Amino acid sequence: MELFEPTAASAEVATYGERAQPRKGFFTDTTLCIGCKACEVACKEWNQLPADGYAFTAQSYDNTGELNGTTWRHVAFVEQPQKSRWLMESDVCKHCTHAACLDVCPTGALVRTEFGTVIVQEDVCNGCGYCVPACPFGVIDKRPEDGHVGKCTLCYDRLRDGETPACAKACPTESIQYGDLDDLRRRADERLEKVRADERFTDASLYLRGPDDGIGGAGAFFLLLDRPEVYGLPPDPVDTTRDLGKMWRRAAYAMAAIVGTIALCSVGPRA
Amino acid sequence: MNTLSRASEPVAPERAVQSSPDSYYGRPILKPHVWTPFVPWYFWIGGTTGAACVHGLIARIRGDDELAEVQRWVAFGGIVTSPVLLILDLGVRHRFLNMLRVFKPTSPMSVGSWVLSALGAAVTGSLVADKVLGAPALARVCDVAAAGLGPVLTTYTAVLVSNTATPVWHEAHAELPLVFASSGIAGAGACATAFAPAAQRRSARRMMIAGAIAMGVTAREMEKRLGVLGEPYSRGTAGAFKRASSMLALSGVALALIGRSSTLANRVAALLVAGAGVCERFAVLDAGKQSAEGPKYVVHQQRETLQNGERKPLR
Repeated sequence: MELFEPTAASAEVATYGERAQPRKGFFTDTTLCIGCKACEVACKEWNQLPADGYAFTAQSYDNTGELNGTTWRHVAFVEQPQKSRWLMESDVCKHCTHAACLDVCPTGALVRTEFGTVIVQEDVCNGCGYCVPACPFGVIDKRPEDGHVGKCTLCYDRLRDGETPACAKACPTESIQYGDLDDLRRRADERLEKVRADERFTDASLYLRGPDDGIGGAGAFFLLLDRPEVYGLPPDPVDTTRDLGKMWRRAAYAMAAIVGTIALCSVGPRA
Repeated sequence: MNTLSRASEPVAPERAVQSSPDSYYGRPILKPHVWTPFVPWYFWIGGTTGAACVHGLIARIRGDDELAEVQRWVAFGGIVTSPVLLILDLGVRHRFLNMLRVFKPTSPMSVGSWVLSALGAAVTGSLVADKVLGAPALARVCDVAAAGLGPVLTTYTAVLVSNTATPVWHEAHAELPLVFASSGIAGAGACATAFAPAAQRRSARRMMIAGAIAMGVTAREMEKRLGVLGEPYSRGTAGAFKRASSMLALSGVALALIGRSSTLANRVAALLVAGAGVCERFAVLDAGKQSAEGPKYVVHQQRETLQNGERKPLR
């Protein structure tokens, strides 16, 4: 058994027993996104996150730049004049099936909820920062304001009241769809077939639909019209904890080398 | 109906920054690590402490008691300073005890926190048993425990950085433990060379010289195998630390060999080799930062994996 199997979404949700819920997620259909950034604003409002300031990036209509500790939705704008099109994509935490951030968190501040989503317990996190380089999507980040890390909670508080997450609620074109992951996957498959039927979008694909990628599929997955890296997404994200056994094995060789070397250096008659 | 496809010659505004096919405006795909310089210092001190525990026990068994005492105090200094450095790096310092809130085998940092704590108890226990309680048997039990945990403390930090998405770290998971192990041996050797009496210095000198050479060789091997991904090691801050590390290691080894019977020469050599180890850790940390910030490294490595079909699908 792999080290990280016990922390997979299904295994952890099962520990909730009767309180376990069907896994929830987002299907972000980028073909419908109009770049209005209503999701960004709704997220900031609901989660009471500070604004990003007045930075002007000169990178199309994107002045948000990235997801970080206080920005949990980010709309990417990709202008492709040679293809006569704009690509827009609302990015978010992927709530991975195998979540690297959760696996490496030493305090247990990052946990899996009964909805199969991943959240930070802000009163437990001590700001060690390990999850930051561990995330294969560059989502989670340390917040300079209070020292701990922050990321999308899939509006855990709203979910517990049976409400839709703020971003999906605010999306005017249903580019962001929220629901049971099984339903979303079915809907996404149908949608992909329809989109691909159009000769301009034969390259369309479902990104992170899972389960055959390096994170075992995501709770938040996407319909993309171009390669992931064009949107600033990694083409082959991996939860590296999958290889942790191999890494410790290499470390064990090094440990043996330490003992061996020091013993060898100590050989010889006493002075 | 389809206005988009009719626009045959779209004109992009001159000042607009074009997004390339390989990245999103050259923006990082990953977040670089957010660790402060306390962390590379801890990596070096922790690595040295671990190797010192092993050396201390072997010296004790051989009857080199003065050497064993030196390594005991080196280790004690290490286990006292290490937690301080780690706490200073935390974003919410007063929650440092949360590090021991759970034990998580999937988190090398959790494993490391427990190992550091246990090693701290063993080193302190040995000291108290010998100096306060006058119970040498108990002290030896503690020494054995410390020597068992020491190598874990020296190498777990390599596993820690390898278990991230940062390409230059993760792809080096085979070599990094050896680099850190060599640096730990060199560090412990350097400390004992500086403080042990001349009559018991031999093993320490050997460790210092062998460790410094091994660190250079394993690090070079690592960078060679990384190929394009290893580029950061020759650029920017990482490149500077790398060059400093090589120069310090070389001059330290040379000085140790030339002035082998001179205490002063040995002490200076020890300082140089110790500095080489510190610089190596700083180079590793900065290379990680550059690696995560360059989308080309991330895309390059992942496209290659996808093409070769190396990655086996998960269940």
